[in-house]
Amino acid sequence: MTDVATELLTVDLTVNGERVERAVQPRISLADFLRDELQLTGTKLGCEHGVCGACTVIVDGAAVRSCLMLAVQAGGCDVRTVESLASGPQLSPLQEAFHRHHALQCGFCTGGVLMTATALLHHNPSAGKDEIREALSANLCRCTGYQTIIDAIAEVADGGLRAMAAGLAEVPRPGARP
Amino acid sequence: MQDVLPVLNPQLVGARVPRVEDPRLLTGRGRYIADISLPGMLHAAFVRSTFAHGKIRSVDTAEAKALPGVHAVWTGADVTPLTAGIPGGLQIEEMKATVQPAVASDYVRYIGEAVAVVVADSRHVAEDAAALIAVDVEPLPPVLDAEAAAAGGDVANEDIPDNLVLARDFAQGDADAAFASAAVTVSGRFRTGRTAAIPMETRGVIAQYEWTTQQLTVWSSTQIPHFFRSMIAAFIGMPEHAVEMIAPDVGGGFGQKCHLFPEELVIPLLARELGRPVKWIEDRVENLATGTHAKQQLNEMEIAFDDGGKIVGLRQHVVGDGGAYNCFPWTALVEPMAAAGTVTSVYHIENVKTRFAAVLTNKVPIGACRGIGWQAPQIARENLLDQGARKLGLSPFELRKRNVVKPEQFPYTAATGLRFAEGSYLESIEALEQAIDYEEFRARQKRERDQGRYLGLGISVFNEITGLGTIAAYATGFPVTSHDSSTVRMEPSGKVTVFTSLTSQGQGHQTTLAQIAADALGVALEDVVVRSGDSRQAYGLGTWGSRAAVIGSGSILRAAEPIRRKLLQTAGHLLEASEDDLVLANGRIEVQGSPDKGMAVGDVAGVIYFAAHVRPPGMDPTLESTAAYDPSEEVWANGAHAAIVEVDTETGLVSIERFVAVEDCGTMINPTIVEGQLRGGITQAIGAAFLEEMTYDEHGQLLTSTFMDYLIPTASEAPEVEIIHIETPAKTTAGGVKGMGESAMIAAPAALVNAVNDALEPFGAFLTDVPLTPDRVLSAIPPRSA
Repeated sequence: MTDVATELLTVDLTVNGERVERAVQPRISLADFLRDELQLTGTKLGCEHGVCGACTVIVDGAAVRSCLMLAVQAGGCDVRTVESLASGPQLSPLQEAFHRHHALQCGFCTGGVLMTATALLHHNPSAGKDEIREALSANLCRCTGYQTIIDAIAEVADGGLRAMAAGLAEVPRPGARP
Repeated sequence: MQDVLPVLNPQLVGARVPRVEDPRLLTGRGRYIADISLPGMLHAAFVRSTFAHGKIRSVDTAEAKALPGVHAVWTGADVTPLTAGIPGGLQIEEMKATVQPAVASDYVRYIGEAVAVVVADSRHVAEDAAALIAVDVEPLPPVLDAEAAAAGGDVANEDIPDNLVLARDFAQGDADAAFASAAVTVSGRFRTGRTAAIPMETRGVIAQYEWTTQQLTVWSSTQIPHFFRSMIAAFIGMPEHAVEMIAPDVGGGFGQKCHLFPEELVIPLLARELGRPVKWIEDRVENLATGTHAKQQLNEMEIAFDDGGKIVGLRQHVVGDGGAYNCFPWTALVEPMAAAGTVTSVYHIENVKTRFAAVLTNKVPIGACRGIGWQAPQIARENLLDQGARKLGLSPFELRKRNVVKPEQFPYTAATGLRFAEGSYLESIEALEQAIDYEEFRARQKRERDQGRYLGLGISVFNEITGLGTIAAYATGFPVTSHDSSTVRMEPSGKVTVFTSLTSQGQGHQTTLAQIAADALGVALEDVVVRSGDSRQAYGLGTWGSRAAVIGSGSILRAAEPIRRKLLQTAGHLLEASEDDLVLANGRIEVQGSPDKGMAVGDVAGVIYFAAHVRPPGMDPTLESTAAYDPSEEVWANGAHAAIVEVDTETGLVSIERFVAVEDCGTMINPTIVEGQLRGGITQAIGAAFLEEMTYDEHGQLLTSTFMDYLIPTASEAPEVEIIHIETPAKTTAGGVKGMGESAMIAAPAALVNAVNDALEPFGAFLTDVPLTPDRVLSAIPPRSA
């Protein structure tokens, strides 16, 4: 370790709608920052080399592996974690669908899966099963066999499709923020 | 204590109840080991061997100790006086035990073995310091081939000069004579690769020592907090009542977390020495290298048939690659002994000859993993049965129908000595055959082959020993006493708290065991809370061996029974009715036929706790009861799997067109949970069949040390599984429940490998080295002529 690694830099970002400013070592990953500095432990670390997807969060609208991003790189960004999905005790439609479909078992990968799905459905609210399967291939789950996760996301996507058809939902713009 | 108790009033048992644990886990509010933070907590990092085998010359820690923020650096020399390590052995004649050091002090015996540990203010500083430690090792020849090592030669572990933990022969009937007179024989040398359980959450340990009371608390991502608390106390020399162990939310186990690991001794010792909480969270590279591996076996198998397709004999030779030490508590026998003991499975085979050897090598210890030693012989046997069917001109369904144990043969004792009370073997095969439409498939397969597309059908019929209690453990060769207990407490308001030693790693016990308890006491699901994972309550052996449904149900029903009796006695006293006329259901106790004459359960409980003047004279005012359960018989679930695959002969890739699973696990507590176990297990099996293999190079260096190299199935590989349920209630368990958590990892790999071999049949190929990676598949296909 060198001074460059341990000197503190100030990072200023928005996390789950709240402005956050902290002095951190530049080597701290966004995942460690969320977990250790902000106590947002819903973001999990399953491999710390960018494969398993348990640490997926949404940064400026895109699903991002927070273990591969440094906290200081998130300066000025809008970061959303799994803790942002429910409104108080009210689960989001996606979380409700996961509950109905038994789309989680141990729950360790679930936060990352939900954030991948949230980003997908934001950009493509009527995503079909093949698109869901492809997006979900970024997240490893060892318990469920994925099928019920795909079913849960597809159910919400079907809802999105119907809402768009009925003119209740806006047709999304690519790159828009959730 | 083996009373068989029915679920008297099944309202919730059998229902697709959504899981009560979900809201917490869906909102990121689960509390796994890495999420726990204690005041004053320090962080540990291990220095691990980069040699597969060698003698430690020196470990230089001076630079690491000097780094600001470092609180302790320990090597084997510091740890050895505090603990002798983990003794791995079973009370089996001629079996050799090993001792796995907590931190290596003289020899290193596998890549990843701990040689030093650093404790610092932060994980980052601990890792910085670990990088400053210089380990000087004199390399020794690594022993990497278990088959060769079984014959002697270089030694993997200096304590076991012949490399053999145990070799054992077994024979029943006269297999050699059966082979001599057989009409058809088939044989194969099957090698199943070294895999790993790969829970998405790695391991982790936190320990806190309170010097004023000499109390040690250990948090660990473990499946077995109660028994391991006893073992930690013994191995580090502390009184048992001064040690408690807590398993918080655990992010998957699949058997890997039912071992006691060196870190579970080292971290508590550090916490005691430093007087501050110490936390160690395993990283993925460590997990792949040191978190126990699984499954590696050689199965040489031969099956003999008469001209009617009846199996007349089976011979098997198993070699298990155990790694450098016996894992605790299962030992290196967890694969090969299980493989030999259950090889006849669902089939009636009178002449059996088996030999197994458990061999030490310079690799990480082999451990328990979903389906343990049963997966490998299942692959061998089921593939050979299909070879036999081809030679005999029979369908694979028909061949199996002629050989499974028939309904009229139950109760049945196998040549291996295993006993089966019941089993829907024939029914399972018939259900599977109907789902597949065999004749239609063969016609389609032929049409497609003519078009250059190679489809294959593979089936696999299985049984699974579940609810593993003492009798089942001994029957399979493991001399282990195996029971668990639950405490059921009805609170004064009629709400119910259950404490159980059956921990959950995602199986949903907070829901399924609450379903059992609610029905036992006639209350609603939301009136029950299930707590587990804490050695301060209800002792037991923990979750493994597809035990929790059976033993959880049994212990809860047995514990609830005296409470139910007391409620009825009190209600009878208050309502002036005979207990025999009372019905306990829907939160009320009513006189049968007179629903107006009744009381809420909570009112009865309140009377017992708080109304001394009206409760039955002499009644003890408690509603708490603890009971253990240990099934009185072996409990076998069964079923049958079928896979239809297509093999791409250009790339060697296999795609799964259909997967059908027939499962009979007796009374289902919650079919949704059963199906979740099946889908997850089948997907894990796809990894075992096609993707997953821990690979060591010729120096014993682990090549699959990241998720870039060790591939587990993603959503892209997972099929839509079709599930068919059969429910044959167990005759001998509480509620008729059987376990099923491992069934897919026993049955599905065999079906998948079988399907590929069926697809490649036109090429005369018969693949026996698993996983069937693209290069292995391609090697079986002759290059196309230009």
